[in-house]
Amino acid sequence: MADPANDFIRDYQSLAQQSWDAWARQLQQQQPQSVANPFFTPPPAPASGNDTLERTLAGLKGYFDWMQGAAASGAAAQPVDWRQQLQQLFGGAGQPFAQAFGGIDSAGAEGFARQWQSWMQAAQHGGFGDLPGTHGPTPAFGQDREQQMKQQAMAAAVLESLQASARYQALIQRSNAQAMQRLQDKLAERAEPGRQIDSLKALYDLWVDAAEEAYAEIALTDEFREVYGEMVNTQMRVRQMQQQQTEQFCQQLGVPTRSEVSSLGERLQALRREFRASQAPATEDRADEIMALRRELSALKRQVANGPKAAPAAKKVAPIKPSTSAVKKSVSKTPAKVAHTTVAGKAKPSAASKSRPSPRKRK
Amino acid sequence: MYTPLRIDPTKALGDIATFQRKLAAGMGHLRSMREPEYANTPRELVYSEDKLKVWHFIDHGKTTSKTPLLIVYALVNTVWMTDLQADRSMVRNLLEQGEDVYLIDWGYPDGADRWLTLDDYINGYLDRCVDAVRARHDLDAINLLGICQGGAFSLCYTALHADKVKNLITMVTPVDFHTPDNMLSSWCRNMDVDLFVDTMGNIPAGLMNYVYLTLKPLRLNQQKYIGMVDILDNPTELENFLRMERWIFDSPDQAGEAFRQFIKDFYQGNKLVKGTLEIGGRPVDLSMVTQPVLNIFAEQDHLVPPDASRALGKHVGTTDYTQLAFKGGHIGIYVSGRAQREVPPAIHEWLRQRA
Repeated sequence: MADPANDFIRDYQSLAQQSWDAWARQLQQQQPQSVANPFFTPPPAPASGNDTLERTLAGLKGYFDWMQGAAASGAAAQPVDWRQQLQQLFGGAGQPFAQAFGGIDSAGAEGFARQWQSWMQAAQHGGFGDLPGTHGPTPAFGQDREQQMKQQAMAAAVLESLQASARYQALIQRSNAQAMQRLQDKLAERAEPGRQIDSLKALYDLWVDAAEEAYAEIALTDEFREVYGEMVNTQMRVRQMQQQQTEQFCQQLGVPTRSEVSSLGERLQALRREFRASQAPATEDRADEIMALRRELSALKRQVANGPKAAPAAKKVAPIKPSTSAVKKSVSKTPAKVAHTTVAGKAKPSAASKSRPSPRKRK
Repeated sequence: MYTPLRIDPTKALGDIATFQRKLAAGMGHLRSMREPEYANTPRELVYSEDKLKVWHFIDHGKTTSKTPLLIVYALVNTVWMTDLQADRSMVRNLLEQGEDVYLIDWGYPDGADRWLTLDDYINGYLDRCVDAVRARHDLDAINLLGICQGGAFSLCYTALHADKVKNLITMVTPVDFHTPDNMLSSWCRNMDVDLFVDTMGNIPAGLMNYVYLTLKPLRLNQQKYIGMVDILDNPTELENFLRMERWIFDSPDQAGEAFRQFIKDFYQGNKLVKGTLEIGGRPVDLSMVTQPVLNIFAEQDHLVPPDASRALGKHVGTTDYTQLAFKGGHIGIYVSGRAQREVPPAIHEWLRQRA
């Protein structure tokens, strides 16, 4: 028996695929042709342009696939068990959250994972095969001893980095799971007529709210901080070793290295500073004295402002439009200090600010 | 018993069809569009050094202020957020109010700028920019408006060069970097910044953008673009969207040494509020900021939490301190419709009372 809804979806999916293909072709036309060279990590793409389009398309495709999946699975029909249905819609591999994270590891971010892959491929193409050190350190000897030890250190650093990334991914997965629970809680609050979710877009938006809340909660934990720091640090160690190996190779070829150029830059900047300092010796010599006098003056001003009879008053906090609740919150969090102005546009400067000498013309 | 999901099957299929139709048509619209321009409010170059430029905006005789206002932007992203599009330009609105506006454009650092320190930026570049504006107006002191990281720079500068600043305005400026809701601060607390900078040199803009996107990964990496589909058939809105995209991703790299010091001293050490910060070997003491201070923060700021900005009131030495709470986010405070109506007039009025 014919199923008009499913037939429509099948036909539509075919049409949609053509459209996505057209977008992809559009992107490909704009991509610069890459050179297949295992020893060459392509430079990051421009931060705008293709990178943005690529990310945009990935995000949109994730959302579109999810909508199609939802419609095809009968999400739009009245569910018997809406919680079970939610699991199908958001818990599977097709859920769009992965797209959001997958998409941002782009060339613009210098795709660390991509760089490791390039390095591993390059090492393997270079005849290293199964990298030494990947199964634990092995004592090396002979003429290539130093090289072998460096390779082992590199392999160990890569492993360490991959482990740190796995811990990070585990936290993202945990946030994913908590997002589902939050979504269920949010939906449970909307069971009564008038508050129900009546479109896939509304369901998606609610899921985004839930997912961002869950993510933010985890992202602010000490555990996340520790894992994040470890991930960055281990990636940097790998990268630093890559650079050292590249530099060694360049030195053998007589090519100036980044360290050498950077060192020149450091010396040049130091010379520029010295030159400027030598042009204004008197000012420099007096700086400490001037600072000490300013401190003294500042202390005296505060002493005068906080005279023995002056009762401390809270600093006022003005919203851009007065009388918002947020303003009151601000006031309560602002500690009492000294009296001052003002609600923008209504009050006049305090006596203290008026008594401050106005800038005079130099002539 | 009711179910929270009442999705009409016909409507769902219709939504999918509409989405796909807009997307298909959108490709044509995108092909026909050019790179959106910023507002490009008429301006003149008044000072330059290395990659830095100081722009003076042409006021067409509307200036009523006697003291010029120098905008000090952050090193991250470009300064054109302040002059994004004709009807969403803080600069243009400040000019309309009668302010005489200057803007420091830090430029795009490259390998030659790798060793620029905070001392070079604050006691060097910024000081010379201030001097250039003071000289043009023959004044001892000018008004400073620091934005985000530029606000932190302005605070340091004012503490170190008090005689050159008449009034100080800080916008969405982090002061206390250790508030519990500061995600960026939390993430970089365990980073080995020395290893990071020694390895990366300058910090690539793409990497910075990656970090910002992961603050709200779903909203910034997916939901935003799904929303874009709805405006693909609206050339004006699409152009505005693409202009914002341009601004977000057209970012400068960060000079390595300045980045190292900023992360270590501000984000990790929280030295600005602890009173232990030194720039160029000189202590930065916020109690030395005795000028009138206007501190504007955004209540929904996910980059600089409101509490991180509010902290300023506890640490500056001035007796004339004002806080303005703006209902919006870190970017909305410059480009939202509400911002155009509220922020520049508030700044101008505050300055006018202290002219």
